[in-house]
Amino acid sequence: MPTLFFQSGVGLLLIASFLALVFLHVKQSRIRKCFLALIILACVLFLASSLSVLLGGDALAFYLMLSGLRVSLSIDVLAAFFIGIIGLVGLSVAIYSLSYVEHVGSERKKNFMLSMMAVFILSMVLVVASHHLLGFLVFWELMSISSLFLVLIDFEKEETRKAGIFYFVMTQLSTVFLIFAFALIYNHAGTLEIITIRGLPPFIASLVFVSLALGFGIKAGAIPFHKWLPYAHPASPSPISALMSGVMIKVAIYGIVRFILLLPDKKLWWGILILILGTSSALLGVIYALKEHDLKRLLAYHSIENIGIILIGIGLYMLFSWYSQPAIALLALFAALFHTLNHALFKSLLFLSAGSVVHATHTKNIEKMGGLMKTMPYTAALFLIGAISISALPPLNGFVSELMLFQVFFSSGVIASPMMTLVLFFALSLFALTSALAAACFVKAFGIVFLALPRSKEAEMAKESGPAMILGQAILAVLCIGLGVFSFQIFQQVGQKAGISFDLPNLLLISATAVFIGAVIFIAVRGISNRNVRISETWGCGIASQNSRMEYTASGFSDPILTIFSSIYRTKKINRRSFHDHDSAVFKEGHAEVLLLRFFEEYLYLPVVRLIRFLSSFLYKVQNKVELDPYLLSSFVAILALLLYLGVAIR
Amino acid sequence: MSGFIAFAIINVVVVMALAPLYISLVKKMKAFLQGRKGPGLLQAYYSLWKLFKKEVVYSSNSSFIMRVAPYISIISALVAALFVPLLFIPDDYSGFGNIILLLYILAVGKFFMALGGLDAGSAFGGMGSSREMSISSMVEPVVIVLFAAIAFVFRSTNLFEILREASHGLGGYASLWLLLIPLVIVLLTETARIPIDNPETHLELTMVHEAMILEQSGRNLALLEIASAIKQLLLMGIIINLFMPMGFNLQVLFPAGILIAFGAFAIKGAFLAASIGVIESSVAKLRLFRLPNLFALSFFLSVVTIMMEVLL
Repeated sequence: MPTLFFQSGVGLLLIASFLALVFLHVKQSRIRKCFLALIILACVLFLASSLSVLLGGDALAFYLMLSGLRVSLSIDVLAAFFIGIIGLVGLSVAIYSLSYVEHVGSERKKNFMLSMMAVFILSMVLVVASHHLLGFLVFWELMSISSLFLVLIDFEKEETRKAGIFYFVMTQLSTVFLIFAFALIYNHAGTLEIITIRGLPPFIASLVFVSLALGFGIKAGAIPFHKWLPYAHPASPSPISALMSGVMIKVAIYGIVRFILLLPDKKLWWGILILILGTSSALLGVIYALKEHDLKRLLAYHSIENIGIILIGIGLYMLFSWYSQPAIALLALFAALFHTLNHALFKSLLFLSAGSVVHATHTKNIEKMGGLMKTMPYTAALFLIGAISISALPPLNGFVSELMLFQVFFSSGVIASPMMTLVLFFALSLFALTSALAAACFVKAFGIVFLALPRSKEAEMAKESGPAMILGQAILAVLCIGLGVFSFQIFQQVGQKAGISFDLPNLLLISATAVFIGAVIFIAVRGISNRNVRISETWGCGIASQNSRMEYTASGFSDPILTIFSSIYRTKKINRRSFHDHDSAVFKEGHAEVLLLRFFEEYLYLPVVRLIRFLSSFLYKVQNKVELDPYLLSSFVAILALLLYLGVAIR
Repeated sequence: MSGFIAFAIINVVVVMALAPLYISLVKKMKAFLQGRKGPGLLQAYYSLWKLFKKEVVYSSNSSFIMRVAPYISIISALVAALFVPLLFIPDDYSGFGNIILLLYILAVGKFFMALGGLDAGSAFGGMGSSREMSISSMVEPVVIVLFAAIAFVFRSTNLFEILREASHGLGGYASLWLLLIPLVIVLLTETARIPIDNPETHLELTMVHEAMILEQSGRNLALLEIASAIKQLLLMGIIINLFMPMGFNLQVLFPAGILIAFGAFAIKGAFLAASIGVIESSVAKLRLFRLPNLFALSFFLSVVTIMMEVLL
């Protein structure tokens, strides 16, 4: 039965994508609703098949015939978990798109977006379900290309084209590393099946690990390979950002977890490498997010932060298993996986509500928003739930996974090596800093976007979005609350299945206590206090009526943190002034400038680009020399070398 | 469970009764050191009563955030009060006492208070929220590593277990005394006191916490004031029961044991509150951007404690 669910889900997505391409010029929104209904149904089917594997515990193995090719698939518990994530997020994004898609632009664009969305969801599901390395690669490429088309939906804009090219290069680079790793595995282990990787010599195993970490790290957006994320997310339509940030980078996490579980004789430094990658992504991600005023780019940097948190969990898993502490290691792995699910939920929620906000205000700049709480109350409430969740505040789901990671960190005393323990406590402090900065960043994001007075005409005129858009977000919001409040009960069940015990606090009990205390306080306060309420102006230091220019801005809000971390931002403030008199009292003219050094672009990306440009210009010169002689000479040398090589090889 | 409910009621009553007293006591001590007479010890209670009896004024710009923030703040403080045993430790405390959860429950209150600061659209509120969140992000790694050090020394993350172990005396945990300084710094930070913040002024340049709640009034302001007082008392309670456990968790019959423990706690709390007054009077407020140095000191001491535990 679950197999049938899965197969019909694949079929439905293929039909939806095909029909949307055939009827590319269709104008009726009803037909588009039918395409989306197919996608929704397919996501429900994927969810059903994933749940039956997760609850039943039996892995599925089957194959699909795709245009005459036999594609072997297998769905074990790990794959089912990720398929479940894809199904959940896909479902709510598709529901959200029911009304969002009508705002995309021309008819062709709308239908094309739906077609590519179906292919995108399909390819992600198939990557996760692949049983063979080759299938994995093919679907991985399909995922990259369909998402590239989706990023390029607004191709008329220069900015979007630039983002698309950047994304394309990075994603192909990731595939190159994967192909290299898979070729090595095939060469030495002699199999293309994902379930068995044995017989790798130690050096080759390390090489495979590094190239897999690079390949998946680029796709996941781990720092320093993160640059494509903040370009691609603001450029693409919001449902697509939600899918890419909520799910696609999780497919890369799936790859990391899958292959790390498979690779034999792991080294200590593998775990340390992942931990460093994770800690730096988490901290730098949130620090960059703080200075961002583009709402979607801010969320993109938070994706980098959360990928970092997930990688910290995976790194801890590897470290603790190396030090043979399997129980703690499993707790770390579960924390990483649970955070993967949680991040998928709350980040898609945030991207969708950001999409509603951007659509309503026609700007991504949060300095031009404000006061949306009154005009868009539902979107505001949903964004607030996402913000609480991503800030890791109890009792929502984001808190639970971070709590599990804290527990793993707190138990690092069991590690036999004192040096390692100290390193872990240092990583713990950076992790704590990350989570506190995330809270600060979302106070800024929510406060500036939704509270106080509108800062522009557009924000004042904003309208609440349609019911389908609200419903799509509401599903995710309810899950964020449910997975947090019932985390204790859920992990009791999971623990029974996995044979470990989670020492989690019962958040249902705590929430019930909080509600009870709240009710008592409310009644008591009503009983004893003065109930008069007066509405009045905010005090504006004597100015008669307050306006939005007196409000605190996003730049002002994050300025103290920016100043404290100025060495990380590498900002240079130039401030030149000249005066009419010698005592510097009467101001003549001045010049102030804030220079932002793009650290990774300056020191990592551009040198590579320069190297390639140098090589290609060299080859260009060689090729385009007018004289015949160098050509003849090079051909002669090449043939000579080939003959020599063959002569040696045959003997 | 009934044992825990009795504990919860006693703890909440103690917290509500004593929290405003220590706020007054700190003020009284500061006044004494400045050669003033100062307000009476019951002044904090009178002020709260007065606030409850005043009308609430909301800004016309504000939304429901400003209306719920005081309630969430007081709820988070009171739920946190169930995590910190003050007089005794109940037999059954399952589900409560996780120190990380305690920190994050307090963070919920702070999060909404900071949003409330932005809600009215006043520049003061925004400035207060911004500074409060900056300070709290700076101090967060310090608090976590400090609590990790405590958890590491006692091999437990549950505050009930930690304090039960500590109530037998700190003889075996000499390294713990190093943590007293970071704990006091965290106490001063979380309760917005000098040298981090100045609770007395309403000057734009110096205020942080006060700026954030500037637009709050009437009963809402009273709730916020009680919440901060409770937060102070809880942090004081951790320090007291960790380092001065005399009279804590007596295994004596119900009314007598509780009364003795209450008396002992009240006296120790008065001593600690007076010490806070002395600290506040003897140091100057630090510039906002100098604070990381202060936090680095407490971070360093926590790390030294962990190192001593790991290496010795």
